[in-house]
Amino acid sequence: MRPVHFGLLALIVLVALVGVLEVKPALEDFDPVLHKEFADTWADRVHLSYWEKWSGFEADGCQAMCDAFNRSQDGIYVHYVRTSQVDRKAMLAAIGRDPPDILGLWNSNLVPFADGGAIRPLDDLMRQSGIAPDMYIENYLKLGQFRGKTYALPTAVMTLALCYNKEHFRAKAAELRAAGLDPDRPPRTIEELDRYADVLNEFAPDGTPRIMGFLPTEPGWYNHAWGYFFGGKLVDPETGAITTDEPANVRAYAWTKRYAERYGRDKLLQFRSGFGSFDSPYNAFIEGKVSMEMQGVWFPMFIRRHRPQLEFGVAPFPCAEGVPGPRSLMEMDVVAIPTDSPHPKEAWTFVCWMQKEGLAILARIQGKNMPVKDPPPWFHQGHPNLELKVFEDLALSPHSFIVPHTLVGQEYRDAMNRAFEHIWGWEVEQVCAAELAGLTGAARQARIDELCRGEVERTLRAVREDIERKLRQKLERERFQPRRAQ
Amino acid sequence: MRSALRGRLTSYAFISPWLIALCFFIGFPFLAGLYFSFCDFPPLKVPVFIGLENYAELLGDARFHMSLGVTMVFAAAGIPIGVLLAITLAMFLNARIRGQSFYRVIFYIPHLVPTVVVAILWLWIFNPEFGLLNIVLAQVMRVVDGWAGVFFDLEAASAGAWFVKREALILLAAPLTLALTVWPAVPKFLRPSARLRQFLMTCALVLLVLALVPLADAVLHRVAPRDMAKLHAPGWLTDKSPLPSDVPFAPSWALWALIVMGMWGVGQMAVIYLAKLQDVPVELYEAADIDGANWLQKAWQITVPMISPVILFNVVMAIIGTFQVFAEPYIMTGGGPEDRTYFVALFVYDQAFQYQRVGYGSAVAWALFIMIVVLTILAFRLSRRHVYYAGR
Repeated sequence: MRPVHFGLLALIVLVALVGVLEVKPALEDFDPVLHKEFADTWADRVHLSYWEKWSGFEADGCQAMCDAFNRSQDGIYVHYVRTSQVDRKAMLAAIGRDPPDILGLWNSNLVPFADGGAIRPLDDLMRQSGIAPDMYIENYLKLGQFRGKTYALPTAVMTLALCYNKEHFRAKAAELRAAGLDPDRPPRTIEELDRYADVLNEFAPDGTPRIMGFLPTEPGWYNHAWGYFFGGKLVDPETGAITTDEPANVRAYAWTKRYAERYGRDKLLQFRSGFGSFDSPYNAFIEGKVSMEMQGVWFPMFIRRHRPQLEFGVAPFPCAEGVPGPRSLMEMDVVAIPTDSPHPKEAWTFVCWMQKEGLAILARIQGKNMPVKDPPPWFHQGHPNLELKVFEDLALSPHSFIVPHTLVGQEYRDAMNRAFEHIWGWEVEQVCAAELAGLTGAARQARIDELCRGEVERTLRAVREDIERKLRQKLERERFQPRRAQ
Repeated sequence: MRSALRGRLTSYAFISPWLIALCFFIGFPFLAGLYFSFCDFPPLKVPVFIGLENYAELLGDARFHMSLGVTMVFAAAGIPIGVLLAITLAMFLNARIRGQSFYRVIFYIPHLVPTVVVAILWLWIFNPEFGLLNIVLAQVMRVVDGWAGVFFDLEAASAGAWFVKREALILLAAPLTLALTVWPAVPKFLRPSARLRQFLMTCALVLLVLALVPLADAVLHRVAPRDMAKLHAPGWLTDKSPLPSDVPFAPSWALWALIVMGMWGVGQMAVIYLAKLQDVPVELYEAADIDGANWLQKAWQITVPMISPVILFNVVMAIIGTFQVFAEPYIMTGGGPEDRTYFVALFVYDQAFQYQRVGYGSAVAWALFIMIVVLTILAFRLSRRHVYYAGR
């Protein structure tokens, strides 16, 4: 009898065990508790996976929308899969040609996915299903388009507005009046915003802020877009040219720099380090450390969740004098169908239903506005976001803007954030000590302003040149790149 | 013959899971990365061969240079401190004291904590407003400044003026006591008895510390007033300014924070040193005792040479580890402020996954691989004269 080869035997047993135990749970697995109401039709349905990014009450909104769809028919069941870092995971899934049926992304992810052929163009499907492009607010539709084709449709959309703490305004009413400002309304221009902020500031005896009227760094998510509020732009929508260092943008970043100079970088650094996370009662605005802040349509919901008694108001974010408004940056989350979606037809059925009926459910529960020009009449009744009208008006404003898609969108955004950080932290008094020596009072301030402006110009020029070079390189290399067949 | 073959087959069968995984999950990506480094390769498209373009680009890429600089500075500042700390710790752990095993476990435990947890924990510790470190530092600096203020005018020191007060003369008591204790030329009638000498020695050392602390504080206020002002409440992870501020290529406060945090895991290195320390023959110390060598001489002439192969091993591993630092800056700073903690591993990640430039990211990774190999060879070459392999 041959001796048993224990090494091989152990290996075979190990592989067999892994094979048996490592059974992948399937979407179709029936859960008698969760899926009780669908028990009769469960086996006959096509099961779709829908990867989305939200958590908390925003995820509840998405789940409610999926549930409504699943109840509305008996041929398809959409499984909402909460997916953090959905863009990265979806990218890997697309490379491995194993993507979900339906994919929720941010509009900033559109270009790499569309350009790489990982998501399907939807124009023909929209035409066949009666989804007219003109039902959408134009800017939102554009955010889902790349090179003339629609690759993604809106889910949750956003505009930005000025949130202001009415309690702070009331507490400083006399001072505001003394400064010639109205405590019963928010600022209407950037210049007015600065004056309001000046009055609302409160400092400890050592100069450390206790309350800041306004901080351009808070929340710090849209530092790339300040130029638009001064009449500037990052990309020329007609020519696609990169316009980082145009005068309006320089003016905008010089304005943000003035806050750092006036109140002291180190003191502000110290002050900001005490802010809690966004979704917490220690959020700088919610806690009352910052009186005015540019925030999105979701923010009133977060305020009411963490500090329901806070008296706050929402108004269009002011523009610089002479710049037409109201205006807001417009961005959105999108839904797309991967090219390798296992059930593209069914996926479109869901996306189509979502665009016609589901969005209203989603937006209602998430407390947001809708991407369409005419929301259903019931949409506003009992909407949880009491400030919704401001955000809706901003979405419809002809002056509101999007940052057009480019092949180097992510690099551009990151470069602008770094530029902002550099400008904010640039220590003029250290770097230019020799040039400021002997100067005092107004002359010194004027020289500081001039030097800061020079640095802003240099920084933005460097960004433009860098992004232009990267864009040129991408376009040149693109000529040799065969696109993936769709 | 057959049994030899069977034996070999059995060995391969046992290592085959590892071997297969190595080939597929390390070998293949390793070689594929080399090919991709010569390609333009957005991950959703087909890689297109572009020759040496990626390598040419990284030669002129200022951000890559910046990230490489950050990594190098981190290595230059962090590795020597880490090695020194680990050796010191190992020596303490090697001492015959009660609860030795307990201390060894305590110092090793931090190494077992997952990186993400450590990063989040240190985020709290480094918080400038309510972080533990700044709270302690503020109290310590208050006491130190208060004590130094008795002898020196710290405000004048910061302003660059004469800062020594008359009271500073008292501080001379420390060196005088020390001299009295140890200086052999002291006249016999002044020389204290052995017991008194021991007492005076202890007093002298205490006095010396009490004198050196305010002196160092005042001198630092004079030479680095800005840094000293910041030391009362540093911004740590949010501060991009260098420390010391006047030294070129000095690490930023943010990078210092990561260096300090890196010391958290020094216990693992210390355990390796400890194993080697216990391997040092006792006879060598006994011979040194007979020769009248003191503690420092024994450490320098016996301990360090005997553990030098392990020092080399740890240094090489630390150099490689530095090029792989990713999780801590990714979680704690995102590479900021202003790229001051933008390690080269973050750069590779951004290029490949954020900007979809897998080809360029691969080129950078390969350039790093070559750098690590060169640095390792260099470390081995330089160490030939200084590393002692007993019996070889």
